[in-house]
Amino acid sequence: MAGIFIFSEDSALAKQLLTPALELKASLAQPITAITLSESDAEELAKLGADKVVVLTGGTWAEGFAEAIYSQISKAEGSILLVGGTLRGKHVAAYVAAKLNAGMTTDAKALKIANGKLLATRVLYAGLAVCEEEVALPAVATIRARTFLAPAPAPAAGVVETQSAEADSRITISEVIPTGDKGVDITAATKLVAVGRGFRRKEDLKLAEDLAGVLKAELACTRGIAEDEHWLPIERYIGISGQTVKPELYVAAGLSGQVQHMVGCRESKVIVAINTDERAPIFEAADYGIVGDMYEVLPLLTAALRK
Amino acid sequence: MPKCLVCYKWTLDEQDIKIKPEDLSLDSSRAKGKISDFDRNAVEEAALIVEKEGGAVEVLSYGTAAVKLSLKDVLSRGAEKAHWIADPSAENADAAVTANVLAAAIRKLGPYDLILCGEGSSDLFNQQTAPRLAALLGLPCLSFVQKLTVEGSTVTATRKLEDCQETATVSGPVVISVLSEINKPRIPTLKQVLGAAKKPNEEIKIADLGLKPEDLQPKALRQSVKGFVMQRRNVVYKESSAAENVAKLTASLASEGLC
Amino acid sequence: MADDKFDAIVVGAGLAGSACAYTLAKAGKNVLLVERGNTAGSKNVSGGRLYTYALELLEPDLYKRAPLQRKIVREQVMLLNERGATTIDYFNPDFGENIPQSYSVIRAVLDEWFAAEVEAQGGMVASGILVDGLIEENGKIVGILTGGEEMRADVVVAADGVNSLLGQKAGLFPDVKSHAVGVGVKETIELPDNLINARFGVTAEEGAARVAIGCTEGISGGAFLYTNKGSISLGIVFNPEQAAKQQRHIQDIFQDFKMHPAIQALIEGGTSVEYGAHLVPEIGYQGIPKQLHREGFLVVGDAAQFGINTGLIIRGMDLAIVSGLAAARAIIASPSTAEMGALYMKQLEELLLVANQRAYQNFHGIFEISRIFGGYPKLANDAMQFMFTVDGKTPTPMVKGLLRAVKKHATFGQMIADGWKAYRSL
Ligand SMILES: Cc1cc2nc3c(=O)[nH]c(=O)nc-3n(C[C@H](O)[C@H](O)[C@H](O)COP(=O)(O)OP(=O)(O)OC[C@H]3O[C@@H](n4cnc5c(N)ncnc54)[C@H](O)[C@@H]3O)c2cc1C
Ligand SMILES: Cc1cc2nc3c(=O)[nH]c(=O)nc-3n(C[C@H](O)[C@H](O)[C@H](O)COP(=O)(O)OP(=O)(O)OC[C@H]3O[C@@H](n4cnc5c(N)ncnc54)[C@H](O)[C@@H]3O)c2cc1C
Ligand SMILES: Nc1ncnc2c1ncn2[C@@H]1O[C@H](COP(=O)(O)O)[C@@H](O)[C@H]1O
Repeated sequence: MAGIFIFSEDSALAKQLLTPALELKASLAQPITAITLSESDAEELAKLGADKVVVLTGGTWAEGFAEAIYSQISKAEGSILLVGGTLRGKHVAAYVAAKLNAGMTTDAKALKIANGKLLATRVLYAGLAVCEEEVALPAVATIRARTFLAPAPAPAAGVVETQSAEADSRITISEVIPTGDKGVDITAATKLVAVGRGFRRKEDLKLAEDLAGVLKAELACTRGIAEDEHWLPIERYIGISGQTVKPELYVAAGLSGQVQHMVGCRESKVIVAINTDERAPIFEAADYGIVGDMYEVLPLLTAALRK
Repeated sequence: MPKCLVCYKWTLDEQDIKIKPEDLSLDSSRAKGKISDFDRNAVEEAALIVEKEGGAVEVLSYGTAAVKLSLKDVLSRGAEKAHWIADPSAENADAAVTANVLAAAIRKLGPYDLILCGEGSSDLFNQQTAPRLAALLGLPCLSFVQKLTVEGSTVTATRKLEDCQETATVSGPVVISVLSEINKPRIPTLKQVLGAAKKPNEEIKIADLGLKPEDLQPKALRQSVKGFVMQRRNVVYKESSAAENVAKLTASLASEGLC
Repeated sequence: MADDKFDAIVVGAGLAGSACAYTLAKAGKNVLLVERGNTAGSKNVSGGRLYTYALELLEPDLYKRAPLQRKIVREQVMLLNERGATTIDYFNPDFGENIPQSYSVIRAVLDEWFAAEVEAQGGMVASGILVDGLIEENGKIVGILTGGEEMRADVVVAADGVNSLLGQKAGLFPDVKSHAVGVGVKETIELPDNLINARFGVTAEEGAARVAIGCTEGISGGAFLYTNKGSISLGIVFNPEQAAKQQRHIQDIFQDFKMHPAIQALIEGGTSVEYGAHLVPEIGYQGIPKQLHREGFLVVGDAAQFGINTGLIIRGMDLAIVSGLAAARAIIASPSTAEMGALYMKQLEELLLVANQRAYQNFHGIFEISRIFGGYPKLANDAMQFMFTVDGKTPTPMVKGLLRAVKKHATFGQMIADGWKAYRSL
């Protein structure tokens, strides 16, 4: 069993995966193979420490390459596969894990090798608890974007080879509609104003926008605001199934603070809550809170901060 | 007329789980069971498809002895028959074991045209089971589906991903995982609740699934589970005057250098 | 067929409903128990002291199967002023050696157990179902409506609690008047058993029940505190009309109560795990509607406003069980729906429920004496303070000091009037 493999269809994430891969290489002394679908990513991955880069050609639908990725790893008897934790990546990773009859840890952090096994930390019950998961080799892990920074260039570049693969032909993709407001990356914002179901109408989000304006913050939201109401794009929702953020300031207005949401923002430096319900869990998670109607509080707060 | 199977998990309601302050261990003694949140969407979706296209909905769950408590609830949500596997191995099962068990049961019960799962389970949120089942059963998989249409043997799904919506078509059989926004699960009516008591449910013994001991051996083991506690200042302003509260808050923010 | 028609439909899986359905199912009746909460007890916040004679009436030794908390062996009455407390403590380890005895209970647990017992007896339990109407035909109630669905039965038992929608739908009584009900707020605070035992002077299986007056700012009402296993239930029950006049939020009064030094010492270090507010029937006998039945329809428990609140004890759970039993017996014994109502009333008499209610019938008058809830507890504390103060100065003569404490809080005229009123109420 030899070889550390990484795969992500997301260019930035693929590079970030090299950081834990290099750490694992240090303890396992096994070469790193990066699998990619993008010719243009290949050169860079080779420069950043991948000993070998395999470019798979023959299709554009990442999930359709799961079988091909599996056969790369099984041929080499790879011991670890790290996959970028996008939804596509998770699909591929779970498929490959099943074919390898391997264990897999989802949204892994702090990976290391102990007792010949892969040890990673992850959350349970949507963030209520954290645990260490010990995965026997061969092991698969998905890693979310920005869990690691991309590594510095390696002294020697790895080799790049291109292989044609057979993508899953049973599924036909007929339409791809890009979504969201490209350009804002709320994970990069230093301040966020997050809105929840306490807002009664889409127009009322103006109150939060105004506050965000004076704070120079971006808007974020809970799952319901994005998924059910479609008031804000899904890139802006925070939580176990959404984004993870660590801003300096996180203002939570009209959101209850359920663990599935808080897990995505609990590493913020300062959390402020505005909620009518004194018993809402958000107050336990907040540094500062106001019990009150945000329809009244937000305009006052905006005005006060403007001064 | 699709024959549907929905895999659902009986999980603890995380809202009832308390963190013990002494050692941060989890106290789930008060926690009640529930059908894992998104699995209710999966059952609902299958019921809606069958209402339109005909066919049948069966459900399958693998759990500890507690899984029996789920039968009445799940059967009142539109399924005709429930299959359940109650085995202590479920306690520490990882996604690999779960998929091995479910796949073996599906081979025994099937074939099905549509096998539906939730996007992720409420407790582990592995987001693995659907693609794993597809791999083990040799079926195509459509994950993270927000809209589903079935016409004859053609299944069309809109998948929702981080940066796009994608429409995918496949000729069944297929494994699908659904997002919560795909539908609004019904609140069972009295007749549905009473009807559930008369619907068949059948236990599948794990020993009858022809699994090897290693298939039941988890490859990912959870260790040192600890409740997550945040250290926060918890200063709450609750005067009746909003202006007063705002003044105090802005002072606090200023002292943090945030405004 | 079970689906189309039941012998009886009981609405509400509180103690009244479950007691009724349990008895009916045990007698082989085809009974449906409907509860709006996702599980029985999930909507129940009420505090917890159950007099077990009621379960004993239902079935000997049934209480031994029930998930009870601690047996109450210590009765304590606290008179509070701003910072002080005068506590009267009655302890008897053999208290209630025989029936009747009382236990602290947690309703969420007890109700769920009871509904499961109904199922074990062959009754059908449907939870998560809100009943929103009644089917009436030829002047008779013949079934229930829920979300547009009909379900029929020979008789419908309304066990739907204090704000009974069904009683109103059946036209038996108008909306609950605000003066007829008290408001209760209750909180469960988790605390390790060793701390509970030490603070209340009880052993592992024993429990204490406390009531406190003087903590409601003169509004008629009182607080209670019960020890459970691993937790304490505490709450306040009071008159909402008077509270409204005070312009004080009940939550605030409750918070103040919890912050009282004598109370805080008892709950310190605990974590609040549950909180809720609920109405309590408060008028007692006179609050009970004239009509508790129609053909095909019986009203039991809080829905019938059965309740006794003396300020020192709150009873509702036992009366709920007894009335549920009475209704079940009437249904079992009646050859047809026409006789059920009369038989139910007779059962209420025979099971002494009416006698119990009547015995306390004037008790409500006590609540009109506002000084009981403010002035007198203060008086007691001032008197205590006077008697136990030793400061080396020339002592004030005992009688004079005490009189001074008394006069601060009430005139003799008021005291005589209050005493007379209290005497008449008892
Ligand atoms: C498996 C799973 C995964 C999930 N993943 C996520 C996730 O990634 N992200 C996520 O966000 N959620 C997620 N959820 C959902 C999550 O559990 C909560 O349901 C959700 O976060 C609640 O959203 P909310 O706070 O907007 O709404 P609510 O819980 O309805 O809260 C609204 C709040 O607004 C307050 N309010 C109302 N009016 C006012 C007013 N006028 N002024 C001030 N306050 C007011 C209310 O008191 C209330 O506390 C997930 C759930 C599951 C089961
Ligand atoms: C704070 C507080 C403290 C108390 N302390 C004590 C005490 O120490 N000792 C004591 O004996 N009594 C006490 N009581 C009184 C006692 O709780 C009640 O008398 C008792 O619960 C009455 O039982 P019940 O079954 O009639 O009604 P409930 O317990 O109120 O049950 C009614 C049930 O009906 C259900 N329901 C209502 N409407 C519908 C509908 N339309 N469709 C379907 N289901 C419906 C409800 O969800 C509920 O489960 C206290 C009450 C309060 C509020
Ligand atoms: N033990 C189980 N029994 C049946 N279905 C399951 C089980 N565990 C997971 N599933 C299904 O797989 C989905 C994803 O679960 P997970 O991979 O654990 O996040 C769930 O939403 C269920 O549909």
